[in-house]
Amino acid sequence: MRDYLLRRLVSVIPVLFLVSLMSFAVIWIIPGDPTAAFLDASSTPEDVARLREMLGLDKPPLVQMAEWYGRVLTGDLGQSILLRIPVLSAILERLPLTLLLATLALILAVGLGVAAGTFAATRRGTWADQSVMSLALLGLSVPDFWLGLLLIVVFSVQLGWLPSGGYVPLLDDPLGWAKSMVLPTITLAVVQVGFIARMTRSAMLDVISQDFMRTADSKGLSGLYIILRHGLPNAMMPILTVTGIIAGALLGSAVVVEQVFALPGVGRLIIGGILSRDYPIIQGGLLFLTVIYLLINLVVDLLYATIDPRVRLE
Amino acid sequence: MRPSLKALAFAFGLMTALVGVTPAVEAAGGEIVIASVQGPPSLDAHVTNAQVARNITLHIYETLYARNENAEPVPDLAEGVSVSDDGLTYTFKLRQGVKFHNGKEMTSADVVASIERYRKIGVSPALVAAIDTVSAVSPYEVAIKLKVKQSVFLDNISSPRAPIAIYPTEEAAKGANEIQYIGTGPFKFVEYKPDSHVTLEKFADYVPNPAYQKRDGLAGKKEVLIDRVTFRFIPEAGARTAALESGAVQIVETVDGPTAERLRKDSKYVVHDVLPFAFQVIKFNHAQAPSDDVNFRKAVQAALDMQEVMEISYSGINQVDGGWVFPKSAFANDAGLDQYNVADFEKAKAFLSKSSYKGETVTFITDNLRPNVDIATVVQARLAEIGVKVDIKVADWPTTSKIGFTKTGWNFWTHGFGIEPFEGPGTVMSAFVGGNAQMVADPEIDRIAKEFYATLDDAQKKELFKQFQQRMYDNMVAIKAGNYGLFQVTSDKVKDFVPFRIPRMWGVTLAP
Repeated sequence: MRDYLLRRLVSVIPVLFLVSLMSFAVIWIIPGDPTAAFLDASSTPEDVARLREMLGLDKPPLVQMAEWYGRVLTGDLGQSILLRIPVLSAILERLPLTLLLATLALILAVGLGVAAGTFAATRRGTWADQSVMSLALLGLSVPDFWLGLLLIVVFSVQLGWLPSGGYVPLLDDPLGWAKSMVLPTITLAVVQVGFIARMTRSAMLDVISQDFMRTADSKGLSGLYIILRHGLPNAMMPILTVTGIIAGALLGSAVVVEQVFALPGVGRLIIGGILSRDYPIIQGGLLFLTVIYLLINLVVDLLYATIDPRVRLE
Repeated sequence: MRPSLKALAFAFGLMTALVGVTPAVEAAGGEIVIASVQGPPSLDAHVTNAQVARNITLHIYETLYARNENAEPVPDLAEGVSVSDDGLTYTFKLRQGVKFHNGKEMTSADVVASIERYRKIGVSPALVAAIDTVSAVSPYEVAIKLKVKQSVFLDNISSPRAPIAIYPTEEAAKGANEIQYIGTGPFKFVEYKPDSHVTLEKFADYVPNPAYQKRDGLAGKKEVLIDRVTFRFIPEAGARTAALESGAVQIVETVDGPTAERLRKDSKYVVHDVLPFAFQVIKFNHAQAPSDDVNFRKAVQAALDMQEVMEISYSGINQVDGGWVFPKSAFANDAGLDQYNVADFEKAKAFLSKSSYKGETVTFITDNLRPNVDIATVVQARLAEIGVKVDIKVADWPTTSKIGFTKTGWNFWTHGFGIEPFEGPGTVMSAFVGGNAQMVADPEIDRIAKEFYATLDDAQKKELFKQFQQRMYDNMVAIKAGNYGLFQVTSDKVKDFVPFRIPRMWGVTLAP
């Protein structure tokens, strides 16, 4: 187990190197630099050159890259050009919101998705199965930015129950915080609910037809007990795989949801970084998200072994 | 839009556990929340000329002179100015008793330090390029000596573009983006949460300029009647409008035409048409064929129907106007306008046949702002009628501007000229001096601009500007498509709001 962990952690290094190299390449390929955020269209090329020098952008790209790698090795992701604070601080400041949003959405998606998928599987071929699966397909097909705006129109504008956007820190106002998280969480979760429901139904159908399920039934156990005790645990492997993928995908989708609901999270930080060509934010942000993504994958692999003792981590 | 009963029932079912209360109604005094499109790149006024930044910074900082309602320079932190007979020395008398937000009184030392800082790191160095020396004559007098006479010096010193804001000496000693946000303005800085909001609060020790009786542009009497103002950054247009309709914000900086028309019908909102707000310009790259050929450029101008161009891009809020200043400017004239909005394909084809155009594909670059893309599309369709093939390249602003500041990779580039016409004819001209916009210097433009900047005679300035406008058409340096505006929307609770280029929060009250 320890060797496995060590090997997995070491294998992260080349992935991170490749990701950072690719982010550098993309930045070189795309024209434009951070001066565009500071200057308007009638600025002169001399104004641009002067500002480039002031922002330290006049160094050759290779020198900038070497300096960046040198700093990263000491744990320093650099300084944001626009925010003028260390990139790591900028990310860590916003990370709790994004992680919280993704976690709430994941809990909601897994809870609803597994319940809906199991319900549909136990009623295979009935109108209830068809209805749940149609709803799941609808959820999968709805674009999240559109759903977000629709929810805002209904719950904020028409009903006035929930705020249309913005973030309220938990410690400042717990009720306000809860309200500010409801619509973004639902928006983020809906697509994934459909995904998990379909996967759960399919996995459960495989399990339901197994001999041990029939045996349990013939012993006179209650239907709910059989599903919870014997069915779900055996259907968990594919659900867990999907959940792992979703956990990563949620971080990506959070970008859109943070934009619609004006939430100051990591996704919005990176989008802002890309739009204003704040290179250190782009590079640091991508590196950080890659680390999180790899960690999620590692955790999922470790969970396989916990759930199914037949899986050996070698 | 009203939801159906089913939608409401669904909503009710989903939300039973989270029954909320309607948003709290702001008390008198209170806080106004403004929905902004994006956050500022910096709150150090000297280092950015982005509009999103000045909308905020001009509440925190002030300048010696500022633009009034008609965009003319009038005293703000200064009581007035005296100009030496040779036109080279400007002596500004400062207002006494003006306090910075840190409690310190503003004196000439602060003014000198701030202008010197701007000369070193200011993002629009052209504003201070003519300055030779800046010195304190007395605690309340500052003398600025120019290298050469400059007719637009007061225009420059009062420019809101990247304002020459007056900072306390100790802040002015700091580098770009390193200052604490301390100014003399009617609001003081409270908090900047990137990607979320900037909050300012009323500066209790602010003494409105006694020389004025009422609000006047960015100068005048700045009396603050609310407690706080928050600029909340909501990038999604639909979410900005929803925030207004749900009561979360009271002012939206800009909405699109259809939204403005919908809100206009609702008595809960006031839609303000800020027109003209900017020029829509189509630049030509004179360094690249075939747009290096005046006949080709004239063919493009002759082919365009400006009514169509402006109405498609800025429906319901545009002016078909070819003048290179706003229509109400003292410099407005009709030179060259016979060549504007011709919309005559035969004439266009005649120019094209005289040009060096050989059927190649020309490149139109534009950022992804919807009206700009629409304009590129209209131009493409019109030019197809005369046999010119146009390839439109859409990218985000940093990419487009990077290409547009170089001599290759583009033939046309369209965007707004906002602050330039607001500042006046001198700034409009400067955009074309030395080939800044068109990539190849036009000696005639350069000559006219040089003479314009040197003369202090108003009649002569008007005559020179007329020559400039004529030259813009005769050499078809660039196309002025028209003027566009923007829709600012306020809640009916916001009283005494007067729309302006920068949404001013002084003189405004919030009804309970």
